[in-house]
Amino acid sequence: MASTGFHDQIVAILPKLRVQALALTRNRAAAEDLVQDAVCNALSAHESFIPGTNFAAWMHRILRNRFISNLRKRRDTTDIDDVPSSAFSTEAAHEDRLALKELGKAMNRLPSDQREALVMVVVHGMSYEALAEVTGCAVGTAKSRVFRARRQLEAWLLGEGQEAGTARAAAAQGARPADARGRRTAQRSSVFTG
Amino acid sequence: MKQRKDKATSARPAKPTDAKDAFDVWLQRSLHKLFDEVAKEPVPADLLRLIEEDREK
Repeated sequence: MASTGFHDQIVAILPKLRVQALALTRNRAAAEDLVQDAVCNALSAHESFIPGTNFAAWMHRILRNRFISNLRKRRDTTDIDDVPSSAFSTEAAHEDRLALKELGKAMNRLPSDQREALVMVVVHGMSYEALAEVTGCAVGTAKSRVFRARRQLEAWLLGEGQEAGTARAAAAQGARPADARGRRTAQRSSVFTG
Repeated sequence: MKQRKDKATSARPAKPTDAKDAFDVWLQRSLHKLFDEVAKEPVPADLLRLIEEDREK
């Protein structure tokens, strides 16, 4: 029974592992490989997992450690700009797609620990405590990574320079409060309303 | 007359906070757009097979 539960837990967490892997590697193919490697490691280390303890943290940690190990071996220099193509759905307005592309580029520039922290908290809804456990750091450090990532992205996307233009426009659209013109509600295609 | 400061100070400075909030909302939505599809994609069959083969050992 314990063995069945273990394998079921691995299958259940695969989507989250894929997101974590993509956040770390910035590359779809590398992310899939990383997930597969992590699953292999987890299966090999089955006996070391204590039932009833935090499986998600254990599994995310295995994947992270595998990423670090691979990095040391390969000095991976992935192309930036490997934003998932699904982000550019035909429904997204042109400006929305550009803004997402800028965000993707900016995300790829972040240090991997900050990028991972931001994705785990924002996309997975992970708590800072859980993030700290997964990444083997203090809660304050986990918070700091997320804060710094957000702040850096804001600086790049809303600050000076070419990258900033579209993202700033997108952010400004959503930031405009309901004023006297109020009936112009945010368009569905705006990046703020999604 | 004394001016009461206590009631007046609950308001935050509108513009900086609104801009930050707007960016955070945009960032959250955009990150979900970038990553949610990945999570929804079907898991590769060979990966599932790997797990099932181990289960049967």
